[in-house]
Amino acid sequence: MSTVVMDIDNLHARIGGKEILKGLNLQLEEGKVHAIMGPNGAGKSTLSKAITGHYDIEVLNGEIRYKGQNIVDWEPEDRALEGIFLSFQNPVEIPGVNNAYFLRTAVNAKRKHLGLPELNAAEFLREMKKLVAELGMKPEMISRSLNEGFSGGEKKRNEILQMMMLQPDVIILDEIDSGLDIDALRAVSEGINKMKDGKRSFLVITHYSRILDYIEPDYIHVLKDGKIIKTAGPELVAELEEKGYGAIEEA
Amino acid sequence: MRPVLLGAMSPESLMEELQASPSRALAARRLSELGMPTRKSEAYRYFEIDPLMEHDWDVLPVAPTGEIEETQRRIVITDGVVTALPADVEVQVGCSDAIDLDGAHFDPLYYLGHLMSREVISLRFRKDTRVTIVHRYTRPAKLLAYRTAIYVDANVHVQIAERYEGEGACGALILSGHDAFVSRDATLTLVKDQTLRIGDYTPIFSHRIKVDSQASCCLHSFDFGAGSGLQLIKAELHEHARIDADHLLYAKDHARRGTVSQIVHIGQSSLSNQRAKNILAEKARGIFDALIKVEHTGKYTKAHQNSKAILLNDGAYMASKPQLEIYIDDLEASHGSTTGQLDEAQLFYLRSRGIARDEARKMLILAFANELIDALEDEVLREELHRSFEEAYWGVTSVTCMETCHGCEDLAAESAAK
Ligand SMILES: Nc1ncnc2c1ncn2[C@@H]1O[C@H](COP(=O)(O)OP(=O)(O)O)[C@@H](O)[C@H]1O
Ligand SMILES: [Mg+2]
Repeated sequence: MSTVVMDIDNLHARIGGKEILKGLNLQLEEGKVHAIMGPNGAGKSTLSKAITGHYDIEVLNGEIRYKGQNIVDWEPEDRALEGIFLSFQNPVEIPGVNNAYFLRTAVNAKRKHLGLPELNAAEFLREMKKLVAELGMKPEMISRSLNEGFSGGEKKRNEILQMMMLQPDVIILDEIDSGLDIDALRAVSEGINKMKDGKRSFLVITHYSRILDYIEPDYIHVLKDGKIIKTAGPELVAELEEKGYGAIEEA
Repeated sequence: MRPVLLGAMSPESLMEELQASPSRALAARRLSELGMPTRKSEAYRYFEIDPLMEHDWDVLPVAPTGEIEETQRRIVITDGVVTALPADVEVQVGCSDAIDLDGAHFDPLYYLGHLMSREVISLRFRKDTRVTIVHRYTRPAKLLAYRTAIYVDANVHVQIAERYEGEGACGALILSGHDAFVSRDATLTLVKDQTLRIGDYTPIFSHRIKVDSQASCCLHSFDFGAGSGLQLIKAELHEHARIDADHLLYAKDHARRGTVSQIVHIGQSSLSNQRAKNILAEKARGIFDALIKVEHTGKYTKAHQNSKAILLNDGAYMASKPQLEIYIDDLEASHGSTTGQLDEAQLFYLRSRGIARDEARKMLILAFANELIDALEDEVLREELHRSFEEAYWGVTSVTCMETCHGCEDLAAESAAK
């Protein structure tokens, strides 16, 4: 039996005054890849926002227990420092904030939290440049404003770059494959697969199974109408492809 | 002297009361037409001018010019008197008739400043120069009036950085400003760091800038900190002349700070681009009351004006009033004004990466401000202003080199190559 790193229990959450998550249960196991699949509008992004503490979300009931603590009232930065990372479906652009300066601030905040010495600019840039090259990003992305004018694919690569620099414990990837061409998809999934170390857990959110050809899931969860209605092994992907979400009934 | 009492006087009695030089008759006539400013005056309606005008001021007499120290690139004006000067800047102190007053300035205090300044400090630039003007105020609670005139000769390019040191002048009222004449094909870049602290003097700087044919003026003003102060700018643009005016305001506490301006396009194909960015914290009030006027002679003009404000607290307030007044059809013009809070989605993004809320807010505020600081060509000034802004915002400076230069990247590249 694997260790459960995150245990979401009977989560009810509201967004914009409307209840979207209606008693969701989900357990993430250490070292495993969990895929959440579901139709558009099912509440997948809402779930990722609830886990990371987004300001739009109001949790009405239930708990998110992470490493044994209920984090529902935690600040977003505290969740991040404790190892939760979200690769956003639509990363925002922040003109005027230098990408390298931003990421160094984030990395050093994390290092400080872990009691490690901060990285100086040169040490940090060496590491960042290496990863930028690995991900096939243009070197100029380092000194550009955060996500400003980045293409869809560049934004997603930049999310993965942050993930690799921050070394989180639970990684949520919200529609990481949307808007990616085949090269970008390959670079991004290589980056993700490299992060697998038997300890780290992944929550791969998608409404489309393509990404799962690149990142092999251990579990498939179907999210519909604010609940996980089915959990199964990777064989479920083929069934969903064939029959669609409509055929899946609540177990 | 209570300035408010001057309001009802005839030009003749004004001249007499202020013992003005006869060359200032125009100023007396205009001041008497406009009257003294009150809170009902157009230019001062968002500024608390009444207490300043009603106060019975002890006027600080400007001492005669004494010994002038020779410096490299610094002009120092102490309590209205030139005390240091580089060898290559020509200065003339006196009340010559040559200073051609603007007969159509909107600000009564422009005229009061001229009437009270028995001598005008005229600086003439005959060749390309970069200088710093330090204005030093040492006398508390006085009213000090002095004026400077800047002449940039044809084809000459001048950059003037201005700083103010007023720790000793708590409670003083300073009436000052430039009459700047930028001749044909010349450029004047004016970078003003007008940081104020709580309890400092109150500056009312009233400028007049004349930009001749094909000349250009870049005005960058930085008003940081607390306290009260206003800059009033009247600029006139002749054929193919250009002005780029950037105003960055960061005000906190009970500050009343800002810019009131009129840019007048007189010549055809003239160009103006004015950008204001305002960050208001606590109970501060920001002012951007700016008119662009295109005369019927100003065909093919381009005029753009934009003001953005971020309010950091509920008590903060921005009075933003960009206006266009146009008398022709053949032109390209735009103006806009927005006021809002910090962007929640951006803030969340930063926090979701483990950056604490206050640090994330600071990053976004700096990003907003940086656009106007980074617009400075001079790298040294850019760094100084980054520092000045950080000090005003954070109380300390924490500018790291990565924000402002690429030296570290080179260093990293070097060490990676080894
Ligand atoms: N900020 C918001 N305000 C109001 N409703 C929202 C907001 N964000 C999402 N929703 C609604 O919540 C539902 C679930 O959205 P989302 O979680 O984004 O779905 P998914 O990611 O599964 O496609 C949708 O009906 C959507 O319209
Ligand atoms: Mg979604």
